[in-house]
Amino acid sequence: MSGSLIELQSIQKVYGEGDLAVEALRGIDLSVERGQYVAIMGPSGSGKSTLMHILGLLDTPTGGSYRLDGEEVAALSRRRLAHLRSRSIGFIFQNFNLLPRASLLRNVELPLLYAGVGRGERRRRARAALELVGLLNRQRHRPNELSGGQRQRAAIARALVGEPAVVMADEPTGNLDQVTGLEILDIFDELHRSGQTLLVVTHDQGVATRAQRVVTLVDGLIQSERRAAA
Amino acid sequence: MSPAELVREGFVEMREHLGRTVLQTLGVILGVASVVATLGMTAGQEAARDAYFRSSGGTLLMGVYSQPPAETELTARQRAQTGLKLSDAAEIRRTIPGFDQVVAEISGPHQVRAGATEMTERITAIEPEFQQMRDLEIARGRFFTSYDMATRAPVIVLGSTRARELFGTANPVGKAVSVDNVRYTVIGVMREKVFKWRENSSYNAYEWMNRLMMVPITSYEQRHMKAGDDKIDELNLRLASAESHDEAKKALERLLRARHGVVDYGIWDRKERLDQGEREGRIYNLTFLACGVISLLVGGIVITNIMLASFTERMREVGVRKALGATGPQVFLQFLVESLVVTVLGGTVGLALGIGFTWGITKLLMVQMALTPAMVSAAVGAAGIVGLIFGLYPAVRASRLDPAVALRYE
Repeated sequence: MSGSLIELQSIQKVYGEGDLAVEALRGIDLSVERGQYVAIMGPSGSGKSTLMHILGLLDTPTGGSYRLDGEEVAALSRRRLAHLRSRSIGFIFQNFNLLPRASLLRNVELPLLYAGVGRGERRRRARAALELVGLLNRQRHRPNELSGGQRQRAAIARALVGEPAVVMADEPTGNLDQVTGLEILDIFDELHRSGQTLLVVTHDQGVATRAQRVVTLVDGLIQSERRAAA
Repeated sequence: MSPAELVREGFVEMREHLGRTVLQTLGVILGVASVVATLGMTAGQEAARDAYFRSSGGTLLMGVYSQPPAETELTARQRAQTGLKLSDAAEIRRTIPGFDQVVAEISGPHQVRAGATEMTERITAIEPEFQQMRDLEIARGRFFTSYDMATRAPVIVLGSTRARELFGTANPVGKAVSVDNVRYTVIGVMREKVFKWRENSSYNAYEWMNRLMMVPITSYEQRHMKAGDDKIDELNLRLASAESHDEAKKALERLLRARHGVVDYGIWDRKERLDQGEREGRIYNLTFLACGVISLLVGGIVITNIMLASFTERMREVGVRKALGATGPQVFLQFLVESLVVTVLGGTVGLALGIGFTWGITKLLMVQMALTPAMVSAAVGAAGIVGLIFGLYPAVRASRLDPAVALRYE
């Protein structure tokens, strides 16, 4: 396979119109190769979460070009976008975004449901993903019966269950205490070692030290990029 | 992903939000139940009135009765001529084809005696067609005939109450009854006629028929009236058809005015009373229907309220599902399943409740109620539409949003 997994060219995002318009992203160029572990950092309001939402196909840019695995995203139908969300991307939110009344097993199964995987296969793979994050014994529990760290681990299982091309995390440790946050980062390290492409938006300096690349955003533009020594 | 899986997902979702689902269903239940009950009560009133008319000669009956005019209008000559006459009946028969039956009636109180039992009660002198006209049924013996009329036979037919009063449990047929010391033979007893506006009520609207003592009008004239007196008290008329009503009634009034020179009569008219009743009923119906529609709306608002109260929760949920790969239509289908279940379940239970309530009111107030399939389907249909519209609105909105927008929704 040739080319980068993710290629952004002068991506823009403007909220509102006319005088009230706010430019959240003012032209982002970025490419991410398969297997890379990229941290996106920057102060509050720098546009990093907006960028992450666009990368995760949860939001649409107002300008520029986004190629995911060679496919121009802007040209895709809603249906195709939904298809990519369930198969190519595993998204992890700061506030977990688990369905509060569904069991962990059902939460983790969801992406497979929408990817069209049969029930038995769904069960099996969801259990495997929960085992990977050490929550198999909690599969029948609801999210509100778990700690924050456990919930985030469940969310990671949900992101991984579809074996996506890229896992994206938006402030994954933002709602967790430091020790629990480290647990999450250890899981990311492990994923990276196994060849998983990882994009993480974070304030956390700990992430920056572990990632291969650190991209820093300020005021909607990439200000600097640092690559760790190989 | 197969629709079956989505439907299953909708059911699981409902189980996970049981309280919410129950409340929504309750909204539909109350809406349907109140509409059904309202319609049932309205229709019951109409059914009762129809039954009353149907079992006593139908809606085509009309009658003329003597009614003295205001004194001041009269000249001496007119006063002398006042009243309905037997010749009026003959003239109506001859000239107004809009009436297919004309039955003259004379009635007045007489001394009536049977064995040791004596009473002063009304005797009705009538023509044989009266039996058919009023749907009177014979329990024993026979009614009098045109032969009895022609021969001025001294025969009498008793209503059930009078038969019991005069003869107790014995069979009166063949026995003698004297009317002002004139001997009549009982040839028939009528079957008891009963109509109650309310169940268990003691008032029988047909009791006056059970108290009839009927003799042929010709027999009566000969034995109880002065020679040459052809005054009668009432004319019973039946229209040939509903369409002939207006014309026949006008002709009747014209004829009586021409013959009497003054309005010395009154007219009762079942068709007019029915039409008037229907006009009044329509207002009554509309009022009740409005109540039903309002309760259905309240049901709808209950659903919407619950939907809106959980709107934020739902928006986030839709956001999560879409972020995980659900398409708009898939999300919509899931909510559709939920709305359908709520509506169908609520509609069914509401229908049962409404029918139960209708039945309960029937027993409690002892009024008649009726439910027609049209009413039932109107109530359930309306509730279905309300349930679907109010239930799907948040779903439609949510399913169109970008996942990021739905997730941010506060």
